[in-house]
Amino acid sequence: MTKEELIAYIQENFSGKIELIENDMAEPYFLVPAGEIVAFSRFIHDDTKLLLHFLMNLSGVDTKEQFEVVYNICSYRHKHRIFFKTVLPYDKAQVDTVIGIWPAANWYEREAWELFGITFVGHPNLKRFLLPDDWDQGHPLRKDWVGRDVIPFPEV
Amino acid sequence: MGVNDDKLPVYAESVPGGGIITTQLNKIFTLTQAKSLWYLLFGTACCAIELMATGASRYDFDRLGMIFRASPRQADLMIVAGTITYKMAPVVKRLYDQMAEPRYVLAMGGCAIGGGPFYYDSYAVLRGIDKVIPVDVYVPGCPPRPEALLQGCLEVGKKLRTQKMEDWRVRNDG
Repeated sequence: MTKEELIAYIQENFSGKIELIENDMAEPYFLVPAGEIVAFSRFIHDDTKLLLHFLMNLSGVDTKEQFEVVYNICSYRHKHRIFFKTVLPYDKAQVDTVIGIWPAANWYEREAWELFGITFVGHPNLKRFLLPDDWDQGHPLRKDWVGRDVIPFPEV
Repeated sequence: MGVNDDKLPVYAESVPGGGIITTQLNKIFTLTQAKSLWYLLFGTACCAIELMATGASRYDFDRLGMIFRASPRQADLMIVAGTITYKMAPVVKRLYDQMAEPRYVLAMGGCAIGGGPFYYDSYAVLRGIDKVIPVDVYVPGCPPRPEALLQGCLEVGKKLRTQKMEDWRVRNDG
């Protein structure tokens, strides 16, 4: 499906719950509320016209006001892609896991949890694996993070 | 004698019957060692590509008698080629400890020497492997060209030739 067809089809089936983010990319980009993530993912994964089976990437973002989790999904069958994101408040950064839909989300969610502190409810193995085993300095990719060993770039 | 004796650390004597040279065991030992520096592959980043290029046919490490080994127990020289993170640092230390004496370390590229481009604002990168293991030769560059690495390896050989067997670092693991 083309971008316009995808937007029309998804909005028709999920009207009112999701929001389209205007962009110049070749893919549609939706804003999905945190409570709807699993339902929305299940729909785009199972729907025969979409069949978005492949989770290409799942990343965390810190915008200084809020956290975002961005999902990039593609379909090998229909050769189309969509992106969507959810927005989480800084003080309650948690969202349901999508491992039940895309098992590939396992390590992506662990990474986002480890580096941003975003909790994925229902994740079976939310353990450290990128940072050193004895790491005790929190979540280093948060914008307000200050590290013990970090040498700040000098002002020029 | 058929050998070019001004190139050898030996004192050749004309003995009736021939075939006898006198030398120091140390000199022969370090000479042979310098001509067969087997190195441990330790490529963690883009420097490893230059290391591979140096090992391949155009620059040809083999002509220095340098052959890569995948096991630290067979290696004399550890070429640390690439960024070492805090997570990787204990592994570097462990591999170094597993190498047999005499052992040498060559820090290749800016990252292994002092953190390189990751010196500032990094939570993950070790600022120089000499914080973890002793380094014999530093080869700067980002990454260094194969010629620079070859020069560094010749410097390791030179250093090795000046060492005495009693100077070998003693293992301090008890």
